[in-house]
Amino acid sequence: MAKTYDYLFKLLLIGDSGVGKTCILFRFSEDAFNTTFISTIGIDFKIRTIELDNKKIKLQIWDTAGQERFRTITTAYYRGAMGIMLVYDITQEKSFENIKNWIRNIEENAAADVEKMLLGNKCELNDKRQVSKERGEQLAVEYGIKFMETSAKASINVEEAFLTLASDIKAKTEKRMEANNPPKGGHQLKLTEIRTKDSWLSRCSLL
Amino acid sequence: MSDDLPEEFDLIVVGTGFTESCIAAAASRIGKTVLHIDANEYYGDAWSSFNLEAFNCLLEQPNFTLRNGSYIWHGPESKEENEEMEIVSWTRETLLEKSRRFSLDLSPRVAYSDGELVKLLIKSNICRYAEFRAVDHVCILSNDELVSVPCSRSDVFNTKMLTMVEKRMLMKFLTACNDYKEEDELSFRGRTFLEYLQAQRVTDKIGTCVMQAIAMCDANTSFEVGMQRTNRFLGSLGRYGNTPFLFPMYGSGELPQCFCRLCAVFGGVYCLKRSLDGITQAEQSNELLVSSAGKTLRAKQVVCAPAQLPASLARHYGELKPHISRGLFIAASPLGNEELNKGGGGVILLRLLAEEGAREACLLQLAHYSGTCPEGLYIFHLTTPAISEDPSADLAAFTAQLFQANAPQILYSAYFTLTAQTIPKTSTAMPICCTAAPTYELDYDAAIANARDIFDKLYGEAEEFLPRAPDPEEIVVEGEDPSALREHSLPEDLRAQLQQMDIAE
Repeated sequence: MAKTYDYLFKLLLIGDSGVGKTCILFRFSEDAFNTTFISTIGIDFKIRTIELDNKKIKLQIWDTAGQERFRTITTAYYRGAMGIMLVYDITQEKSFENIKNWIRNIEENAAADVEKMLLGNKCELNDKRQVSKERGEQLAVEYGIKFMETSAKASINVEEAFLTLASDIKAKTEKRMEANNPPKGGHQLKLTEIRTKDSWLSRCSLL
Repeated sequence: MSDDLPEEFDLIVVGTGFTESCIAAAASRIGKTVLHIDANEYYGDAWSSFNLEAFNCLLEQPNFTLRNGSYIWHGPESKEENEEMEIVSWTRETLLEKSRRFSLDLSPRVAYSDGELVKLLIKSNICRYAEFRAVDHVCILSNDELVSVPCSRSDVFNTKMLTMVEKRMLMKFLTACNDYKEEDELSFRGRTFLEYLQAQRVTDKIGTCVMQAIAMCDANTSFEVGMQRTNRFLGSLGRYGNTPFLFPMYGSGELPQCFCRLCAVFGGVYCLKRSLDGITQAEQSNELLVSSAGKTLRAKQVVCAPAQLPASLARHYGELKPHISRGLFIAASPLGNEELNKGGGGVILLRLLAEEGAREACLLQLAHYSGTCPEGLYIFHLTTPAISEDPSADLAAFTAQLFQANAPQILYSAYFTLTAQTIPKTSTAMPICCTAAPTYELDYDAAIANARDIFDKLYGEAEEFLPRAPDPEEIVVEGEDPSALREHSLPEDLRAQLQQMDIAE
């Protein structure tokens, strides 16, 4: 199969339960706001291909599958992640305070050079706001990462946030490629990868 | 953390080891509500991987599954102490600084490329959570040297270990095994594989290659089993890499987590640091009342790792006995010559024999490309069935073979024992299913068979064990309306589940 993209980026969504991670994922990947059947049909990650500077970038965006609920995200979740969206809910103070814990979790488990971004979601609920935009900005500055307020429901800034993160990862990747030092990874098992049996045995009578 | 845990589940699984995680995923996948807990604060139980610091802590504090732990630093403590040496690369300090770059397995395994694990991962689509590295070399020890067993046509051509005549002999023998059908070679029924091999008049070197690396037999292995194993090896060649084996990137501890992820994706609830404190049968129903962290939960079924049973129940399952003796070494230089460790080295598998083949051990050497250690370092995992409470004594016969002739620069060594209970068949003390502790095996066949058995016992053989999970592309939702979910794009069994939900509503 020909590759239909120039880059593949694995992105993660992280944050407390109920901050709207899955909704952000659906808004970006399907332009939809609907999460009814998720656990029955097994939603895992979503894919959307975007274009930046004439390069096709396939974004593979992973959701926590509810494992954030009792802080039981697997260490395997972080493997190979190139970008992480840290999400809190502007109407839930606690979810904002917990961002610090999530960052610690990322530092322990993700690659050291993973690109991060902070999102204050549900910004359409301004009347219920508990976390000011300034505090979000301040925290992002503290960690040296970018910040946006988003609304998955009203479709505000979701697209922009992913494009920003993708473009930052792209810049970093290209810089690394210029340094001619691409990281070496492993294989993923795919059905199509399997070649037929006996490939060498049958021909070995040539010896 | 607020505890808004639901109180009723179809299945509660205790322990997040490989086998339990398989069962949890399989149950969740067919629509059962699953709670999966573990007394530890990490995933994987006796199948887990740890960074260097956490691994040391674990060795210092024995638990139900691990005991007799010890570790020793062999290198200098820090650079200052060692200024007189010209090149000081690794010290205790620098190793600990890079602690998080280590992923140290309790139960390291490889998988046959066409084996049960790989088939299950592909069939269930769980393969998307894992990455593998093809094992670079399968070795034998020949005159105290690690020698790579040729696994491909070009290997056979290029190997210097065999003469031209031996090369033909090996090919002829393997081709005969590959073409073997059950009705053939009736004369060897009931005899050993070694007898068959000897009857083919192969040289000693080929005999060693076949017995130690390809068929992985001992002198008593029957002809049928030896043939089966040889064909398992041959059938896994030419799929992903140069050898028939795969090793999970970042260590074997990733695999249970992959199954847990699938369970969670289908709605399974996860809680770590939560133990099973007691279990009783509910009156007037078949439900089980499970007490955990001061709460009583109801479950139709319970599956438990024997080591995580509450003390009151554990006594029905026999005493904890040493089961597997493990050694783990971190070195600044690899075993084997440069040819075997090209470009920094990869993953090397070596089966070792001692006491004239009566005992065996498995060595896995991992370089940084496996994602389990920093660049420039090598991990040696040694595993053998335990014969005593002293893992280093159990392994002494094997370390002697490995380290005496060409001693690698070992910086750190650790030993521990994995335990298992001797579960008496008569034990029907509780209507719960206990999984088996990790056994001594190269691949995951026994563990998967154990999980499948328990799954069949719980849900009957009519239910499929881990059917394919849909690819993200198959889940198409259009617009704001939930009914706009395009069901026809989903696998059949999930469509059926959705329809049942509709009827129930």
